[in-house]
Amino acid sequence: MSKKIGVYICECGTNISDRINIDRVIDEISSLENVGIAKKYGLLCSPAGKKYLVEEIKKEELTHLVIGACSPREHEQTFMKVCLEAGLNPYLFQMVNIREQCAWMISDKEAATRLAIKYIRAGIKRVTLHKSLEKIELESNPDVLVIGGGIAGIEASLSLAGPERKVYLVEKTEALGGMTNKFAQLLPHQGTNLSIIKDKIEQVNNNEHIEVLTSSTVKDIHGFLGNFEISVTNHEQDSETKEFKAGAVVVAIGFNLYDPKEAPAYGYGEVENVINALEFETMSSTGKIVLKNGKPPAAVALVHCVGRKEEGYCSKTCCLYSIKFARILKDKLPDVDVSEFYQDLCLPDKSDQNYFEEAKKKGIHFIQSDEIEIKDINDRIKVKYKSAEGKKEELIVDMAILASAMVPSQDTPKIAEILNLPLDKTGFFKEAHEMLNPIATPIEGVYIAGCALGPKNIPDSIVQSQAAAGKILTTLVPGKKLEPEVKTAEIREEFCTGCQTCLSVCFYGVISFDEQKGISTVNEAICRGCGSCVGSCPSGAIKIKHFTYPQLYREVLEALR
Amino acid sequence: MTATENIKIEKPTKGASIPAKEGIKKAILGILKKALETESLDAIMIPVKVPETESYAWVLLKDTVLLENANPLPPVMTIQGGKVLSDLTKHGKINKNIAVILRPCETRAAVELFKLKQLHFENISLISIDCPGAIPLSEYLAEPEKNEKSFGNILDKWDKDDSVRAICKTCYRFSLPTLTNTPASDLHIGLSGNTKDDVLLIPITSKGEKLLEKLDLKPDSSLKKWEIKINEIKKIKSQRRKKFNQDFKTEISGPEKFTAVFDGCINCHNCQSVCPICYCQQCYFDSATTKLSSEDYFRRAKDRGALRFPLDTILFHLGRMSHMALSCVSCGACEDACPMSISVSQVFSLVGEQTQQAFNYTPGINRGETLPLQDYLEDEFCEVETPSECEPTNSNEVKENV
Repeated sequence: MSKKIGVYICECGTNISDRINIDRVIDEISSLENVGIAKKYGLLCSPAGKKYLVEEIKKEELTHLVIGACSPREHEQTFMKVCLEAGLNPYLFQMVNIREQCAWMISDKEAATRLAIKYIRAGIKRVTLHKSLEKIELESNPDVLVIGGGIAGIEASLSLAGPERKVYLVEKTEALGGMTNKFAQLLPHQGTNLSIIKDKIEQVNNNEHIEVLTSSTVKDIHGFLGNFEISVTNHEQDSETKEFKAGAVVVAIGFNLYDPKEAPAYGYGEVENVINALEFETMSSTGKIVLKNGKPPAAVALVHCVGRKEEGYCSKTCCLYSIKFARILKDKLPDVDVSEFYQDLCLPDKSDQNYFEEAKKKGIHFIQSDEIEIKDINDRIKVKYKSAEGKKEELIVDMAILASAMVPSQDTPKIAEILNLPLDKTGFFKEAHEMLNPIATPIEGVYIAGCALGPKNIPDSIVQSQAAAGKILTTLVPGKKLEPEVKTAEIREEFCTGCQTCLSVCFYGVISFDEQKGISTVNEAICRGCGSCVGSCPSGAIKIKHFTYPQLYREVLEALR
Repeated sequence: MTATENIKIEKPTKGASIPAKEGIKKAILGILKKALETESLDAIMIPVKVPETESYAWVLLKDTVLLENANPLPPVMTIQGGKVLSDLTKHGKINKNIAVILRPCETRAAVELFKLKQLHFENISLISIDCPGAIPLSEYLAEPEKNEKSFGNILDKWDKDDSVRAICKTCYRFSLPTLTNTPASDLHIGLSGNTKDDVLLIPITSKGEKLLEKLDLKPDSSLKKWEIKINEIKKIKSQRRKKFNQDFKTEISGPEKFTAVFDGCINCHNCQSVCPICYCQQCYFDSATTKLSSEDYFRRAKDRGALRFPLDTILFHLGRMSHMALSCVSCGACEDACPMSISVSQVFSLVGEQTQQAFNYTPGINRGETLPLQDYLEDEFCEVETPSECEPTNSNEVKENV
């Protein structure tokens, strides 16, 4: 079929027409190969302009469309819709930016006009090489896999489960609740509020749309948004494997505590009555606060920032829970002398400052200190430290509670490998974008919530779980089909040498190696068309639809000619 | 396949000494013959003299009679051995025990191809050999007999001879044993710089050690004397290379001078087809994309006043360079193959070395390394974004020593 390209130049009010001699542009390009018609128009993006274009495409029986106007970022979608309305495949259209790239950039009208001619010529050349691309639709499964039955996983499950959406909640221990099971009281309001967690666990267990798989670990996950195939092993029941499908995954595998033994100066495991934060939570929730010899402590040191230097980040929650411990101690043992050894105080939330001021009023000492060393001294404990003034000081106590840093769960690397997720320098999962997309991952349909992303308190974990649930609820609508990216990468078998360089650059993990054929293959259903593999392929074996080498090469040639 | 199979990490200090009263060629062939006879090896891949042209071809052999015409270190490099090994093993590991004898640059090409998954090392005993250089192919073929003789002299004179190829004269990686966890070859043949001297078989990996054991050879000779000699030559050649880098850079820098180097190019693409690193199934520059319509040609001719045909000669060389510079092992195959005597290998080697330095990368000396473009280091971004502010990267650094 012969080509008939329509070229329409937008005056953009006077934005373009003032700075570019549009008539000359039309004059220059009208005679080019395949150009059937070249015209100008006042404002193509206006309702009248769009209507005009639809009529023109139909009347002139155009096979391709080139529009010289503003940035494609602004109106490419607008004109693609126009094409659809006029019955022209929207990928047989090319937008040329002669406003930002010519009119607004160059004050000399002659030079701007010359550049506009080159760019439009390039667009015309490019569009002749365009191919029609069709959108496809994929069935998608609305169910969700939640990995980790701590507070983040529980919240995500409760937010997601419903009559049209089943949630599989996989927990590796035998009970839900995660780290909160070990807590004595919850921040910020202490008291007997632990029941709110128990209530949530109750709600999960009573929810018929949530299938709780305890004592289970995720063995394998394959697939993509809307179509994940999952296998989970139960290690109680003879490693029985359960297989099911889900459309999205929430990773909420929480954290571990930094092992203070890694920093021997704290005396953990060596000096009696030096305990970590979770041990204190358990002690105060299950029994009395006593020393190894059964007597209550007369003086307690709370040591902040254990592992902060070693791990390289602040764990955000320790200041507040150390103050909580001090208050629990003061409540239970009114005569106890409590000292908090801190490096910097981190009190970021709105109720934190007040909580701290109250603690000070209760007579808790706050000592800014560094270089802490904990030693055994005649059945008591000597805390040696460097004060804020730089002096070497010491304090004798009976018990020292170490606020260990929160470190990534030991399961993080395994889950990262199964799902092909990146980790950051700290060893926690890496956000798709730390600021703009903090719970998403490079893998579409996989979200992370809670402490798996880094240290945080319960409210922040809940917020993230709700956010992940929100993302899933809006993308995986039951009954709605998914429309994958059309401009995907394609590997040409005859050129692929099987060097697998593309596998190492694919951010989305959609390329795999076909051992039998000895070549790489792209899963086009989940390819996002970023083009990294195309650039990395030493053999030029990968092409990306709509950005093929001939299209780009000819376009550039024309622009530079 | 693991990159770390059969690895011995300590630096070799001893080797098995083989007397070479009748010359090194005889000595090495004697050992190989023994390896075939005792079935320590199933076959050997080695250059064998082709009677008609007096040239050399790679032959996979197990017949000890054929071995008589073989030469472990021929005066010329006809086909790059790394490429040959890739041909043999590209589609998976082989099940026979095979030894292949490669020059250091060929060994390094093999390692680069291994990283590009174009070659498998299972069951291959890679034997590298000290190399004084190779005579330019065309010169050798003009007078094979004379050159065969003069190559014997080169082996006695080493660095003092000018009849080797230009790229060989400045080659300071002519000997291979390297101290890495996953070295390039399994066994190295050390030549002390005199054809009548003993030959040293230096085990580098445990695979190499086992091969010596099977041959009943004990690595009990010190490497001191050999090392001193190698380091002496290395020093001279490194200095020569440094001078070459400076001089040649001035000679080819800038668009005009650079274009002039390739002025004579006849677009035969020989350089690409003999290059071990150019492993694409089809070169982009041979594809239809680069051929334009006559209307396009006329328009371009009109714009420029005239148009040289075929198009994109310089683009071909630049494109090839951008593809393989990081892995270029300076083997000189491209220059040998150029009918127009363009100093291709010298240009590529110069650019390659500088590109490699930017990544602290030496191609082909460590099987365990990944290619710089497959290995993303966050601090590399600094080098791109704000070069003046960043500290030099050492994470990719490889110890390279004899």
